[in-house]
Amino acid sequence: MSERSAAAMSEQAAFQAEVFQNEYLPADSTVVDAVVTVTSSGAGAAATTAPATAQVIMIDCSGSMADPATKLPEAKRATAAAVDALRDGVAFAVVAGRGHAVMVYPATTALVAASASTKANAKNAVARLTASGGTAMGQWLLLANSLFSGSTASVKHGILLTDGRNQHETPEQLAAVLRECDGRFVCDSRGVGEDWSGTELRTIASALLGTADGLADPAELADDFRTMTEAAMGKSYAEISLRLWTPAGSNIRFVKQAFPHVEALTGRRREISARIGDYPLGPWGAESRDYHVSVQVPAGAVGDEILAARVSLVSGDQVLSQGLVRAIWTDDTALSTRINPRVAHYTGQAELADVIQEGLAAREAGDVETATSKLGRAVQLAEETGHTDTAKLLARVVDVVDARTGTVRLKQKVAGVDAELANVRSVKTIRVKST
Amino acid sequence: MPADQCPACAAQVNPADLFCEACGHRLADPVADPSGPPATTGRWVSSAGAPLTCAGCGGATFGPEGYCDGCGRRRASAKDRSELELGNLAAVTDKGHRHHRNEDAVGLGLLRSVAAAVVCDGVSSSTRPDDASNGAVAAALAALMPALDGRTPADEAIGAAARAAQAAAILAAGPEPGTNPPASTFVCAVVEPQAVTVGWVGDSRAYWLPHAGAEPACLTVDDSVAGQFAARGLPVPPDISQDRAAALVRWLGADATDTTPHMRRFAPAGPGRVLVCSDGLFRYRSGAAELAASTPSDTPLATARALTQLALDAGGQDNIAVAVLTYPPDTREPPRSQNE
Repeated sequence: MSERSAAAMSEQAAFQAEVFQNEYLPADSTVVDAVVTVTSSGAGAAATTAPATAQVIMIDCSGSMADPATKLPEAKRATAAAVDALRDGVAFAVVAGRGHAVMVYPATTALVAASASTKANAKNAVARLTASGGTAMGQWLLLANSLFSGSTASVKHGILLTDGRNQHETPEQLAAVLRECDGRFVCDSRGVGEDWSGTELRTIASALLGTADGLADPAELADDFRTMTEAAMGKSYAEISLRLWTPAGSNIRFVKQAFPHVEALTGRRREISARIGDYPLGPWGAESRDYHVSVQVPAGAVGDEILAARVSLVSGDQVLSQGLVRAIWTDDTALSTRINPRVAHYTGQAELADVIQEGLAAREAGDVETATSKLGRAVQLAEETGHTDTAKLLARVVDVVDARTGTVRLKQKVAGVDAELANVRSVKTIRVKST
Repeated sequence: MPADQCPACAAQVNPADLFCEACGHRLADPVADPSGPPATTGRWVSSAGAPLTCAGCGGATFGPEGYCDGCGRRRASAKDRSELELGNLAAVTDKGHRHHRNEDAVGLGLLRSVAAAVVCDGVSSSTRPDDASNGAVAAALAALMPALDGRTPADEAIGAAARAAQAAAILAAGPEPGTNPPASTFVCAVVEPQAVTVGWVGDSRAYWLPHAGAEPACLTVDDSVAGQFAARGLPVPPDISQDRAAALVRWLGADATDTTPHMRRFAPAGPGRVLVCSDGLFRYRSGAAELAASTPSDTPLATARALTQLALDAGGQDNIAVAVLTYPPDTREPPRSQNE
């Protein structure tokens, strides 16, 4: 009833989709919300052949990487850890990022297959890097894109590390590069030190279907680089899409990833037919993600039942798993007023991400009133949704008077990195406990 | 046995056919010794069966889960109106004027000298009641007709039909029934040469309408609060609301606990008709006498049509289902007019 779990197992039993919704609508209502949880055991394709992987590491070598003195050495150590983690045969390259991008390894603009000797040579080249010059991340991504364009690997993964803001190109230039790279490769973005911008990291990761995070302590980099590399090589499907069927006369209000982080997908629709659209999700391994779908359907009479959406996960045209979102109109308010806990949970978390970003932007613009109100609401939502990590981050930006009512005061002195961490991690979500 | 009749089930057949369309009997074969196992399980028809086009948009393609490929509307389990004729039995069901789909279902069965009718009324407050009612009617007939083998008493056959109907109603709920699974009433009448037997769960009814002279009677007692008071000859106390009084106390479905049908068997003194119907009809002519007074003396199909029209003209507040059986059972094909 409220928690409908229409589990559908795929042929390979590798993917499972579960739908959470209250399908009962009051007579005048036309909006249907559902959360679809998709879980992959990773067993399906891996049992046959894992897709070939290519990886480019973009390491910031701008002048600021020299300060503090531990930053560049830790970045080199992290790059070496990522190189060490590469399986033999994985095509890879290392790029140094400044105002322009230059090849670190190999010397020519090409990928090389990982082997004991190429990995050793790469680490030697990385060890010789020095910090000098500016920051133009679009240039780094363009070089990565041209490296990947010569590769037949099906999973193409980039890691972009920066310690500062994208000072030497405009946001429009970066946006143009991201459009160029869209669908060509996946990129995780990482900030190190105190001067990076959470918004920029999220913009890159979001456009290129990757993750964004900041690491206050450079010593954390090596583990993070190794984890990202292993995750990229652990993908069992190179290109997965969310396929959405909606009925005639309906309007898709939004499609977003709700877990592990909030990601708007609505604008990424690729039309398959009048009723069907695909939303590319990038590669998949053994993982579980949640999607929030909101559809406006034509009004129905009490007792009517329609299929409001059919949500499938597809690889090419192969349907891996599928869930049904229904709408049933009823005059029984006991049914129609029920709130599905998972839908409510993610609605709250999406709002949490929005108010954090808006609050931090207002704070930066000097609008104390808006910042206090938005960040107060954020503290309240974090409390309500049990988002303790976010609550801790927010407490570094505001003094919490009462979390329950969202009463806060802006801190007078805030370390720059704390606001950026709160920003970059605003989209990370937690899962409600299964009921 | 005339050449145009199946020797096994008495269905009308084309003399050129090798097999009976109704029961599959090889027409050239002799019918087995009546003391041996039955040669046939009779034949039956019902209103259950999904329409070919979508009630919402007229589309003709449906996804595997039964939703229209165009507008997404769930495909109904049956058409809005069905007229059934089987031998000299007839039934009509209609969605009425107020409901958005027909959640009533009706079926007719015929085996040698035995006629039967089943009506199931989907409980409109439940989820997908039409799945329960249509599934129950189809399953009930499939269980009832083979059981009417001439040796099993009619009440046992009706009991088997009710169990099959309950199983179908449970099945309609799917793997996760939820708190309000599909539910339906059930009433079954079996007319034999010497007796009429009726079994029911819920508030759908069977009436005995004798030919001239004798007293008409309602053969069933509603499984509702009001029905229980009426059965004891008591008025419904004023502190019980109308809704509460009309509420079912027994039904078929995944959430039903008591689904054994009440049973009534009687031997009519003379010829007459048995009406099996849902409350969509009898809400307008509840008393046996007033219902009898409104029932024309016509062929079973014309009678079922007229009673359905009566309910529609009176407002058609609910789905309507009515089956008309004659007593004693007349299992010959009815005479057909030139226009039919």
